[in-house]
Amino acid sequence: MTGLLAHDALMVSVVVVLVGAVLGSLGIRGGRADWVQIAFGTVYANFVLVSLATGAMIYALVTHDFSISYVAQVGSRETPLFYTVISLWGALEGSILFWAWVLGAYSTAVVWLNRKRAGNLVPWASVTLLVVALFFAILLVGPANPFKPVFPVPADGPGPNPLLQNHILMAVHPPLLYLGYVGMTVPFAFAVGAMFSGEVASDDWIRITRPYLMVAWGFLSAAIIAGMWWSYEVLGWGGYWAWDPVENASFMPWLVATAFLHSAMVQERRGMLKLWNLNLMVGTFVLTILGTFLTRSGILSSVHAFTEGPIGYYFLVFIAIVLVAALVMVAGVSDKLHTTGHFDSPTSRETAFLLNNLFLTAFMFTVLVGTLYPLLAEALRGVKVSVGEPFFNKMTLPLIVSLLFLMGVGPALPWGSATKAEMKAKLLPPFSAAAVMAAIALAVGARNPYAVLAYAFVGYAAFANLREYWIGMKARHAAHGESWPVALARLVGGNRRRYGGYVAHLGVLLVALGIAASESFRAEREATLAPGQTITVAGHTARLKEVWGREEPQRAVIGATMEVVQNGKVVATADPRMNFYPTQSAPVPTPQVISSIGGDLYFNLMAFDQNGSHATVKLIVQPLVPWIWFGGGVVVLGAIIGIFPKRRRRTAPAAVRHPVPAVAVPLPSEGEA
Amino acid sequence: MRRFRGTLAGALLAAAAAAAPAALGAQQARVDTALPTPQLTPADSALDAQTAAVASQLRCPVCQGESIQDSPSELAMQMRDVVKEQLRAGKTPAEVKAYFVSKYGEWILLEPTTHGFNKVLYAAPYVLLLGGLGLIFVAVKRWSANGTGQERSEQE
Repeated sequence: MTGLLAHDALMVSVVVVLVGAVLGSLGIRGGRADWVQIAFGTVYANFVLVSLATGAMIYALVTHDFSISYVAQVGSRETPLFYTVISLWGALEGSILFWAWVLGAYSTAVVWLNRKRAGNLVPWASVTLLVVALFFAILLVGPANPFKPVFPVPADGPGPNPLLQNHILMAVHPPLLYLGYVGMTVPFAFAVGAMFSGEVASDDWIRITRPYLMVAWGFLSAAIIAGMWWSYEVLGWGGYWAWDPVENASFMPWLVATAFLHSAMVQERRGMLKLWNLNLMVGTFVLTILGTFLTRSGILSSVHAFTEGPIGYYFLVFIAIVLVAALVMVAGVSDKLHTTGHFDSPTSRETAFLLNNLFLTAFMFTVLVGTLYPLLAEALRGVKVSVGEPFFNKMTLPLIVSLLFLMGVGPALPWGSATKAEMKAKLLPPFSAAAVMAAIALAVGARNPYAVLAYAFVGYAAFANLREYWIGMKARHAAHGESWPVALARLVGGNRRRYGGYVAHLGVLLVALGIAASESFRAEREATLAPGQTITVAGHTARLKEVWGREEPQRAVIGATMEVVQNGKVVATADPRMNFYPTQSAPVPTPQVISSIGGDLYFNLMAFDQNGSHATVKLIVQPLVPWIWFGGGVVVLGAIIGIFPKRRRRTAPAAVRHPVPAVAVPLPSEGEA
Repeated sequence: MRRFRGTLAGALLAAAAAAAPAALGAQQARVDTALPTPQLTPADSALDAQTAAVASQLRCPVCQGESIQDSPSELAMQMRDVVKEQLRAGKTPAEVKAYFVSKYGEWILLEPTTHGFNKVLYAAPYVLLLGGLGLIFVAVKRWSANGTGQERSEQE
């Protein structure tokens, strides 16, 4: 019953979004404002319908209604309620439903917040959002229908994939990812709207788009970090990034969106790069769909999986349509996009942003080529090849190191032009921090040249970004006599976009430092221990206390209690476990991490003896891993600060009342970043 | 440990209920009988490091793109042992990798060779990067030449 109603709701939603898209475009062309209003209405109606279907699915999951195919696929009476609810996104059909719901929510917010804006930008953006919604609605009533009736109704189901019900982060990572991924549809819709409405030459669409892009970018950043964390806490190999196609799929749109966040500023200030920015926004969206296609169709794990489900073809057709349509549109408007601006000088922040865009794009391209190459090689040469971690590490390290350096150069250089003296004063001092960092790295034993360069440039960029705060605070302190915390708050509040950006930079630097340190100083050992025996890695000693077992409703658990010993005293304990799920032939490793600000002790139970007399335990010691998670939080904080460009009324009059005396630098709180 | 099947897991469920380690109904893969607390000699750790370096470049055949260094699967464990034995016997890392390629094909290498068509894979990113650098150089020169001295925009 629930299934039928939900399916009907989705069928109706197909019709509603189709009507909305058609009526909307005809209404805009024919100047019928009432039709456009109806199109806006269909956006809300679609959201209501998809919410009904999503609610029905959650209800069906919770009530174990196994007459519904998706529940029969991922549900189980033994699974705890929490994991039952989040299994909504545990498999393909449910995640497409969730995708459609998130898209509906974003579209509703966009249309509602911008419904009164004059011009055709918002109507065309709404039509674009409706067309994308139509694609997902068609998937949901066709190849990815989660509400197929099952007969005879099974008494119980297999439960969600054990890997997905083994850790709390599974409740966090997928929603964040969808919020980020799907959120990229909004800037794309505005880009298309700008092209259709003829507003493409003005920069208005970029300004309207920016908050939405920041929201999506913030969610995507958080999702990538949460995904790394999940992989670290669950998969048992002590790593957080393996250049797996799934990871690459989430990372590529992030790179392009990050490029756009920078190049959009050049367009706003200089009226340049308009065509380029359109392409970046289209590219970001296409990469989200391509990433979903690559990871959901199974094409990369096996070429033959592609032919098993029809959903891959739907995605392929949709990608083709989007690409062709976007290329035609961009080509159509390109003559309107003559560059009006110019550069004052090659030595400027503008140039740094161009390089930033080049390196970010090249980064994305490297990841894309590496991800797709196995397909290409098999198609052209008939040979199966693998492109894995060593390739990506080798190829991307020079790009990463360059980008770290540019993160210091960009904020240091002024817009417009820098004189030789300015360049010296701005670019040279951060090298002192770089030298200190490199010296520390060498002293503690880093030898890989890229690793040393990475530490050095992290220092360089941290110096350059922190100095921007310092200069701004000092200027406010001197000019207004503000106390330092007030100066900081007003500085950031007066130009959130700029200082939010620097916060995001500092977050990225923390992530980079955590990755560099944990990669270059990782030490690990595996040993088979009897209770009372110890394992020592990089000066950390742990003792096996006991091997134990216990039964839980949905699984059996075997664990090894490890005591971390310092100077003969037990300072911490860890219980790495293996979880046995009835439906899974292999146990699910459940490592345990003891974290401190300096780094992690990572315990994983590899094997155990049947009578509990021995356990094989792997101990991995990695410095600074928690800095990655913390840095991710700082990136998100930067995004939150930067969502709203500026707080206009509070700071501007203050600046007028207290004109700045001759300070060496212009007060960096007024105006754009 | 990856040999657990339904029956073993079932036995384990029963055993775990007893909550006595002695009753754990599982088989054990790799425990020798008498075990001193393991000690490492410098030569051992050098071999271990070399093994890890080679193992992290070989793909685990039964996993999702993991290396045999990272994979906890039994096959990966055995392959690591093979790597270690061959290195101990004096083979170079390249020879060890060649051995695995002869057994499993090129697919086993996580980092593709730089021969033949694979050159495209390695060259493409650099072509883009260098082309882009050239383009930026030309563009910045032209854009800056246009506007020298005119309407210098206000900073901040």
